[in-house]
Amino acid sequence: MTERNEFFNTIRQALGPQTEAPNLTGTGSSALGDNSDAVSARSQAIQAYIDEQSGPLMDSLSESATGAGWKVARFDDLDKAGDHIVGIVRDVEANLVVRSRQDVLESGIVEAWLASLGVDVVPMALGEHSEHTVDELRSLAERADIGITGVDYAIAETGSCVLIPSAQVSRLVSLLPPIHIAIVQRGQVLPTLDELFTIRRRDFLDGNLGSYMNLISGPSRSADIEYTLVTGVHGPGEVHMILVG
Amino acid sequence: MQSHTKDFRQGAGAALSDPKIQANLEGLYNGFHQARIDASDQTPDWEALQDKGRAIKAHTLDNLAYYLEMVERNVIASGGHIYFARDAEAASNYVVNLAKERGIELVIKGKSMVSEEMALNHRLEEEGIEPVETDLGEYIVQLAEETPFHIIAPAIHKSRGEVSELFVEKLNVPMYDNIEDLTREARDQLRQKFVDAGMGITGANFIVAETGTVTLVTNEGNGRMCTSMPKIHVAITGMEKVVPSIEDLGLFLRLLIRSATGQRISSYVTTVTGPRGEDEVDGPEEFHLVIVDNGRSKMLADPNLREALYCLRCGACLNACPVYRKVGGHAYGWVYPGPIGAIVSPMLTNLSEAKDLPYASTLCGACKEACPVKINIPRMLLYLRKELTQGETYPEHKSVSMAESTAVKGWRASVSSSFMMRLSNLGGRLLQLPFVRGGRIDRLPSPLSGWTKHRKFPAIASKPFRTRWKNIGKK
Repeated sequence: MTERNEFFNTIRQALGPQTEAPNLTGTGSSALGDNSDAVSARSQAIQAYIDEQSGPLMDSLSESATGAGWKVARFDDLDKAGDHIVGIVRDVEANLVVRSRQDVLESGIVEAWLASLGVDVVPMALGEHSEHTVDELRSLAERADIGITGVDYAIAETGSCVLIPSAQVSRLVSLLPPIHIAIVQRGQVLPTLDELFTIRRRDFLDGNLGSYMNLISGPSRSADIEYTLVTGVHGPGEVHMILVG
Repeated sequence: MQSHTKDFRQGAGAALSDPKIQANLEGLYNGFHQARIDASDQTPDWEALQDKGRAIKAHTLDNLAYYLEMVERNVIASGGHIYFARDAEAASNYVVNLAKERGIELVIKGKSMVSEEMALNHRLEEEGIEPVETDLGEYIVQLAEETPFHIIAPAIHKSRGEVSELFVEKLNVPMYDNIEDLTREARDQLRQKFVDAGMGITGANFIVAETGTVTLVTNEGNGRMCTSMPKIHVAITGMEKVVPSIEDLGLFLRLLIRSATGQRISSYVTTVTGPRGEDEVDGPEEFHLVIVDNGRSKMLADPNLREALYCLRCGACLNACPVYRKVGGHAYGWVYPGPIGAIVSPMLTNLSEAKDLPYASTLCGACKEACPVKINIPRMLLYLRKELTQGETYPEHKSVSMAESTAVKGWRASVSSSFMMRLSNLGGRLLQLPFVRGGRIDRLPSPLSGWTKHRKFPAIASKPFRTRWKNIGKK
C-alpha cells in the first residue's frame, strides 16, 4: 500500500463509518453547496453595493486604516495626490523608487511627479516595456527607498489593502523597500473581509484566483521582545495610504 | 522534538523561583489577555462567530478524509505538490530529501509549530543544510538554542538585556540597549539570508480545501519573504488545519487574530495557491504542501478528544490559564504548552510520561471561556485523568499502582454499608495509634508515606460524628 493510501486509511478508520459526500447544510459554512451562479449573483450584489456606498466606505476605511497604523491622506484627484507623494519622496530624500504597473500608475504619472526631483523610478514588471531581468529587478527592489503600488481592493473593516500579484504587479514592491505608498481609488473599498472572499471565490470559479494575495494592514511590526511594539521588522516600517476620489 | 513532559514538576519549580520569568508572564496577562477581551467585546456577535467557527471545524473534522482529498486535488491542479506524512520522521525525510535533491544549502523558515514537532532544524543541520528562523522571537530562541516559550510569542521570557547579550555573543555585534536597535540588527542579519536562501519553509494557519490555498498570518512580514524570495516554498502543517471554502476565511481570520493579539487583523494575511503563475514577475517556482498526522489521528478516533483538533493555535488559553501564567511554557516539556498543550502534547507523545500535564490545571474553565471555538478543555483534562487511572481507551498508559487501586477498592468496600463503615472506623482508630502526635498523623510508613510528605492529617476522632450527633440530639 502506498504511503498516501495508508495515511487516508488511518483517517478513515479514525472517523468510522460515514458517507463519502458530506451533508453541507446546517454547518454554517458558506456554501460549498452553492453553485457558481449563486456565487456570481452575490458578487454582483457586492459590486453594486460598493459602487453605491463608495463615499461612506472611503470614510470608514480612512478611520480603520489610521487605526491600523497607515498614514492616511485623502485627495479629490490624482494630481493633488501626486503633490503629496512628491512631498513624501522629498522628505525622505529618496534616490530610487520602484513601482508596480497597475492601471492607475501605468500612464507614467509617477515618473512625471518625480521628474522634478531627479529620482529614478523603476517599474517592477517584465515584458516589452522592461529593460531588466528578474534578478536585476529584485536587486533594484532591495535598494529602493520607496515602493509605490495601486491596490486591487481595500477593506473598511480592517484598514487593509489587498494586492494580487500578476504580470504587472510584483510581490516585492510592497515588501522590500522601507516605505510603501499605496493608492486606493474610490470604488475599490469593500465593507468587510467576507465580501473580499466572496469575490475571490467567484474569481476561483472563473479560473482567475491567481497564485498569491496579500492583505496589508499597516506597517510590519513585532512585539516579540518585552511586548514592546517595534515597526519595520522585515517589511516596510512606514506605510502611506493615499485615498483618491 | 524530544519530549520532556515527564519533568513538568522540575520545570514548573524552576520557573516559579525565577522572578524574571514571573514578571514576563505577568506582562503576558496584562497584554495579550486583556487585548483579547477588549477585541471580542468590540466585535459584534462574537459568540455567534464562535459558534459558527466551531460548527465548521466540527463538520470538517467529521469529514476529514473527504476534505483532505479535496485539498490534494486542488493543490495539484494549481501546479503544486502535496505529501501526506504519517509521522514527524516521514515529514522530515520528505523536506530533507527535497532540499538535498535541489542542492539547497540555506533554508529560511517562517513560524511553524509542526516543524518543532519534527525537530526539522536539527535534521537539516545533520545534512549540512543551514536552517534560519526568521520570526524575530523564533530567531532569538534559535540563537539561544532553546524552544519557544509561547505559541505566538516564542521569546517572551527574555528581557532586552538578555537578547542584547545573546546578539553580542552569537552575532559579534555591539551591545544595544534598546529594542529598536535589536530589531534593526535582526532585520539586517536576516535580509541577506532571505536573498541567499534556496528554500522557504512556513507553516499554515489554514488550508482551504476548495482551492488548495494555504493562508499565513504574520505581523513582521517574514511569511511574505519566505513565500516571495526563494525558488522553492514548502508549507508544513497539521492535518486539522483544513477549512472547506475560501469564503470561510473571513470568519476564521477574525476568530484567530482577535483571540491571539487582540488586533482586528494582523499586518499581513497572505494566501498562497501553488507556485507563481507563468506571467508573474517573482515568487517561488515550486510549491510543496506537507500535511502531517503524527498522532493526530488518535485524537480524531477518540470522540472524547476530537475537539482538541478544532484548535486554531491562537494561544488565548495560555494567557488565560492561572497555571500557565505561573509555570510558563517550558515546564510543559514539548511543543504545545498551556491548557490545550496539556491535552495535545500527551496525545502526540506519550500519555504515561506526560501524566502530570492533565493535572496541571485547576479546572477553573478560564481556557474554555477564552477559546475562540469554545473547546471544552477542562472536560478533556478530566477525561485524560480518568484514562490515567482507569485506562479503558488507553490501557497502555495506565499509571496508577496496584497498591493504590487496591486501596481505593478497599475504601469503596468500607463505605458501602453502615456496618462496614463502623467497622473500618474502629479499625482505623486502632491502626493510627502509633502515628498520632497531638491529634495529627504526621508520618505514615511506606507505601502510604507520600500522603504525609507535605502535610499532616487530622487523626480519626475517638468518637465518630454520628455518635456525637446522636448525643447532641438527646440533650
